[in-house]
Amino acid sequence: MHRQIARLLLVCACLSVGPIPLHAQDFKLFDRTVQVHGFFSQGFIYTSGNNWLTMSTLNGSGAFTDFGLNMCSQVTDKLHIGAQGYDRNLGQLGQYHPSLDWGFADYRFKTWFGVRGGKVKTTLGLFNDTQDLDFLHTFALLPQSVYPTDLRDATIAHLGADIYGAVSLKHGLGDLSYTVYAGHRSDSIYSGYPYYFSSFGAHITSFGGLQYGADLRWNTPLKGLLIGASRLNEDITGKGSAVNPFNPGAGLLPYSEASKADWTNQLYGEYTLGRLRVDTEYRRYWRNEELVTDNSESFADIRGWYISGAYRICKRLQIGSYYSRYTITNVVAGALSAFYPSTTDTSQPANHDYDKVITARLDLKRFWNVKIEGHFMDGYGSGPYPNGFYTQVNPQGFKPDTNALVIKTGINF
Amino acid sequence: MNYTKILLSAAGFAISVSPGAFAADIKVIANSSVRADTISAAELKLIYLEQKNSLDDGTRVEPVIQKDGQVHKNFLHEYVGKSDDDLQTYYRTLVFTGKGSMPKELGSDADVVAYVSRTKGAIGYVSAGIDTDGAKTLGIVYAGDGSQRRLITRVEPRYPETLRQLNIGGTVRLLLTIAPKGNVQNVDVLGGNPILAESAAAAAKQWIYSPSPSRTTTEITIPFDPSH
Repeated sequence: MHRQIARLLLVCACLSVGPIPLHAQDFKLFDRTVQVHGFFSQGFIYTSGNNWLTMSTLNGSGAFTDFGLNMCSQVTDKLHIGAQGYDRNLGQLGQYHPSLDWGFADYRFKTWFGVRGGKVKTTLGLFNDTQDLDFLHTFALLPQSVYPTDLRDATIAHLGADIYGAVSLKHGLGDLSYTVYAGHRSDSIYSGYPYYFSSFGAHITSFGGLQYGADLRWNTPLKGLLIGASRLNEDITGKGSAVNPFNPGAGLLPYSEASKADWTNQLYGEYTLGRLRVDTEYRRYWRNEELVTDNSESFADIRGWYISGAYRICKRLQIGSYYSRYTITNVVAGALSAFYPSTTDTSQPANHDYDKVITARLDLKRFWNVKIEGHFMDGYGSGPYPNGFYTQVNPQGFKPDTNALVIKTGINF
Repeated sequence: MNYTKILLSAAGFAISVSPGAFAADIKVIANSSVRADTISAAELKLIYLEQKNSLDDGTRVEPVIQKDGQVHKNFLHEYVGKSDDDLQTYYRTLVFTGKGSMPKELGSDADVVAYVSRTKGAIGYVSAGIDTDGAKTLGIVYAGDGSQRRLITRVEPRYPETLRQLNIGGTVRLLLTIAPKGNVQNVDVLGGNPILAESAAAAAKQWIYSPSPSRTTTEITIPFDPSH
């Protein structure tokens, strides 16, 4: 723990010594300007109650690092290209395996019609595509009921294409923006779901599939008010190996699961008035999957919402708070129901996570911020779809409440 | 500064303090390669939000922003509808999701004028009183009643010689009421030096717009630069 705090302090010390010329870089290539931007963040979490986010947070953990680097260029009036590499380590997740975060060509025919092709960040709600970009947000951790950081791979990007555009409505009715997309989602085997599955002796080797959806958002005539809705459909297949629960002694057998119905609906609103910003979102994720190997089926209904407020006291200091509410119910049908009883009572700590959060964000320089955040959680919502709490790092069993102190610092250029 | 200049400047200031009065302190400039003489406020906003990178006439434009300062704040408030912090967050969102680039950021009016003057398609904003030799000044057109009408005939206002000699300039804001046939029916002065406004209104009354099914209103700005 002391070593991790020392690392955090070292980052701060390095950044605070003297004037640092941390600027975006650009250079010319084939007579076109190429911009280079990047970011880095380092966090530290200390909890009481349970270990959180696959880290040993009860002892304090600084295994909370991410960074990215991108290049982009406006090739012609209408063609923009770019790519970003991203890497992270969050406890047992990520483990410094770099990935292409996004990389695509964007051709805008008109303001109301453009096309992006390649690996594209998925537009889902207010912050899905920016959830890794710590410096854009007041909070060190976005509301985990809607943006679970351990499950970022599930929604973050797709390899495919987007059609997008924006139109101004007549009679002063504001602006409408839309995105329609389709592509292939591919989760890292170092993400939350494969890690969760490993607690059952399973080893997922591939997880992904078709992803398509749409987002519509309306900048209303009321200045500062944005409302919108997103829909995401998926057809996911997971493969690997697992212990047969009916005959554990038989060793590992091939395992596969496949979506029968998999969709997410998300509704959201944002209001800014001067230095005040209020956000609220509701997400419902319905997941009906066939556990092919075990001749069973599961129906998970995962619902989350939050309301957050942030106020900028002065140029350097922002404070914020949110209330985030997550519930999960699950019904298992077929042979596996004998091993995994249905969970439908959301009042049980295992089936919910209600999180009250307060934050202070200090912008020490334009490119450097430090956040201090307190989480007061009721419940641990541990399964059958993960949400921050895992049995592997809580072998002693879960306690109903968890309080957390999160300290995070980040830079960008 | 002599007494006449103080009086004229004070009169101009007094009348310009009104909602949207920030516009009178700002001049939008463009590289000489930009064909248009005017730009609508709505189009200007889309360009600064990177939702559009060419004007309606097809000219490619590159927005330039200032790092900070009152002109920067006033411009964002008047034309973009975002604070500096919000705009920075917006641009970073574009940059780090691959949906746009960071615009050129410059430290002063003089830097903006120099960059815009030498960069094809560049468009920027500076204090209304600054010398913008080498760049052209764009008039801002505000669409009224949700419709946008094309300006067909534009008559340039006469610069009152006394004010030019006294080096008094500024921007005049007018609200035009345009008849369905396209002639300007009425002109209301919204801001700016009253003597300049009188000249601007006289010219604007002779403007002709494209026809429309109904009468519309349009808010415009006309810059007066004593150095030109």
